[in-house]
Amino acid sequence: MKKSSDFKEYKKEIMDAAHDDRLRLALSRAVKSFRGNVKNALEKFPHTISLAEEVRKIKEKAIPDMEKLTRQAIAAIEENKGKGYIARTAEEALQIIGGLVGTKKLIVKGKSMTGEEIGLREHLEATGNEVYETDLGEFIVQKRGERPMHILSPSIHVPREDVARLFSKIMGQEIAPDAEIADLVAAARAYLRDKFFRADIGISGANVVAAETGTLFIIENEGNIRLSTGAPAVHIALVGMEKLVPTLSDAYKVSEVTWRYANYTMPSYVSLISGPSKTGDIEKVTTYGAHGPREFHVIFLDAGRTRLARYPRLSQALYCLRCGGCLYECPVFAVTAGHFGDKYFTGIGAVWAAIVNQDKEKAASLAYTCLTCGRCRQRCPVKIDVPEMIIELRKMLAEGEKA
Amino acid sequence: METDLVPPGLTYLADNIITRQNILGVSKEQGARWAQKLDLRARADTIFFAGCGYQYSAQLEVLMSLARSTDKSVIGSELPMRFARFQKKLGLNLPGIYSNALAHGGDDEVKPLEAAVKVLRKLGLQPGYLAEKEPCCGAPLHHAGLQTKFAANARNAYKTLKASGVKRVIGIVPYCTHALQKLFPLYVDGYDIDVHHFVEIVAGKISLFKLKYPRKVRVTYHDPCQLVRYMNLVEEPRRILKAIEGIELVETDWTHGEYATCCGGGGGFETVFPALSEVLAVNRVTELMETRPDIIVTHCPGCIMQLKEGLKQLKIVGVEVLDLAQVVAASIE
Repeated sequence: MKKSSDFKEYKKEIMDAAHDDRLRLALSRAVKSFRGNVKNALEKFPHTISLAEEVRKIKEKAIPDMEKLTRQAIAAIEENKGKGYIARTAEEALQIIGGLVGTKKLIVKGKSMTGEEIGLREHLEATGNEVYETDLGEFIVQKRGERPMHILSPSIHVPREDVARLFSKIMGQEIAPDAEIADLVAAARAYLRDKFFRADIGISGANVVAAETGTLFIIENEGNIRLSTGAPAVHIALVGMEKLVPTLSDAYKVSEVTWRYANYTMPSYVSLISGPSKTGDIEKVTTYGAHGPREFHVIFLDAGRTRLARYPRLSQALYCLRCGGCLYECPVFAVTAGHFGDKYFTGIGAVWAAIVNQDKEKAASLAYTCLTCGRCRQRCPVKIDVPEMIIELRKMLAEGEKA
Repeated sequence: METDLVPPGLTYLADNIITRQNILGVSKEQGARWAQKLDLRARADTIFFAGCGYQYSAQLEVLMSLARSTDKSVIGSELPMRFARFQKKLGLNLPGIYSNALAHGGDDEVKPLEAAVKVLRKLGLQPGYLAEKEPCCGAPLHHAGLQTKFAANARNAYKTLKASGVKRVIGIVPYCTHALQKLFPLYVDGYDIDVHHFVEIVAGKISLFKLKYPRKVRVTYHDPCQLVRYMNLVEEPRRILKAIEGIELVETDWTHGEYATCCGGGGGFETVFPALSEVLAVNRVTELMETRPDIIVTHCPGCIMQLKEGLKQLKIVGVEVLDLAQVVAASIE
């Protein structure tokens, strides 16, 4: 390897993780409960399996069409008096969002891997804003000064005792190390409560977007996203272009499969957001900004996605629904969590590093960390063939990429 | 044009395959020694393909033990692996070290091969064996991403097989069998060799035999990744184990069949991440031990090595790791 020091450092990072007993404890608890929940959810709603096959077909059609679907979604959003943007690079996305936000604002944020990808929170903080992660896991990670270790459960690596210690420190009240999880949740709720209503801006991602209506589907359980996208006067959403599907009905199907494979029979909340808040109740004059946001901005992020879509064997990485199921099946992830990853994790993370971020050294480190054992493929609702992608990627890395 | 993004552990295996037609770069005669007393025909329509994993398992254990100790030290395994590649230049005689290992009871490790031949003969098959002429399947080249070299090796291997009159192959190493069955046709024009795995052959005929294991035992089965998720051989090993009197098959709750956890050694991973690979072996053994087995049965030389290492690390005594071929051979008297 060219920079063998990089590889050595990476290897040290994952070995340190592998020897971290706290991490191991937290992960083993999480894997056990996740498997039980998925099994239960699929047994209760067995049609999910054939629905997943349908979703694979929806994604197969949508991914090569990303560009067109994005334009269609932007047109629909603007018809609803929202505003749509295409950001070709991470920098462009930060520039657009930075321009909308300005400085000295209070921002409440829902969890967004895409936000993580472009370093959105860090950027907004650096430009003089106060940003609160409102997803409990992301909040924990933010306060620990770490990066998320799982796409759905960012604080998967933190056992409850460590959360109690952290909260005691930041909230200025003593929380016993053996406190019930419910007490920890209540503490976070109390701490964040007024932030939602004082915030100038709410920021979210989206799980799926229906191009025909420009509707964002946002799946959650905590209710933080409803508050973040509902209470402040401005809602900004950052969405990867791979999240677009043609119709509302497609988007619903993708959503249902996503939450079920993410171990929920039915999530508590699914928000469908298509435009700013409005009312016509006084003299039928449409007025924006009733109880919800007055402004609605959606930034669609390319940042290498359309490039990835052109690789015949690798484009399937864009089918990923981010249910997180594969991560729980990966034997390496089970001991290293997100340390086996870059912006995204495990095998798909390697493809992402190589093609989206064009970081060959990182991609090689990740690609050769994959066991190609194939258990992720077994779990994947849309049957993404990670081993196939990894072998293809290694070939590109080892033999030099052919155009 | 090759870049230097391939980790040294894999380039070491790759060089050995290309220069010596086996993953460890030792002499082919060493590999073929196990069959000396078996009187297998050198030319036959159907051959038994022994593969590197079992034939060189003793040497492989030596390599892994060296790699693991350096990987855990401040040196790391990259530098020694890089040196190993240029071993002759540096006067480092790894093959010599391997031979010494063999002299110290390494023969123990080839038992699965003898067992497999015995079973095939009981089933009425008389396969040939190409011995030192057996080509290397080159699977690690494929896994390293060196597809051009893999393709060239596959074409040469095919020529060798054809020149020996081979029409049908019974493979036993999962990686080799998968390569010969599924990967070769992608790279070799007109590939016409019929490839089956040992477990398929045995499962197809097992109902004709009365099988009894010498003692009553609890057995758990560890599925090798290549067999279960690449070749879809899920039910076959279980059918065989269930047909043996005296064996009680006990499976883990979740991690069996298609969801079996990888042992942590696959596609050369263990040479790139020797220490991490050991952690994964320990995890897998921990899962399997939940079934309280007397014997862990598997069907892959890599898995056997890993699972033994896991037991050793966990200081578990009194639990055996056996190849499925050995268990069948012991039951088919």
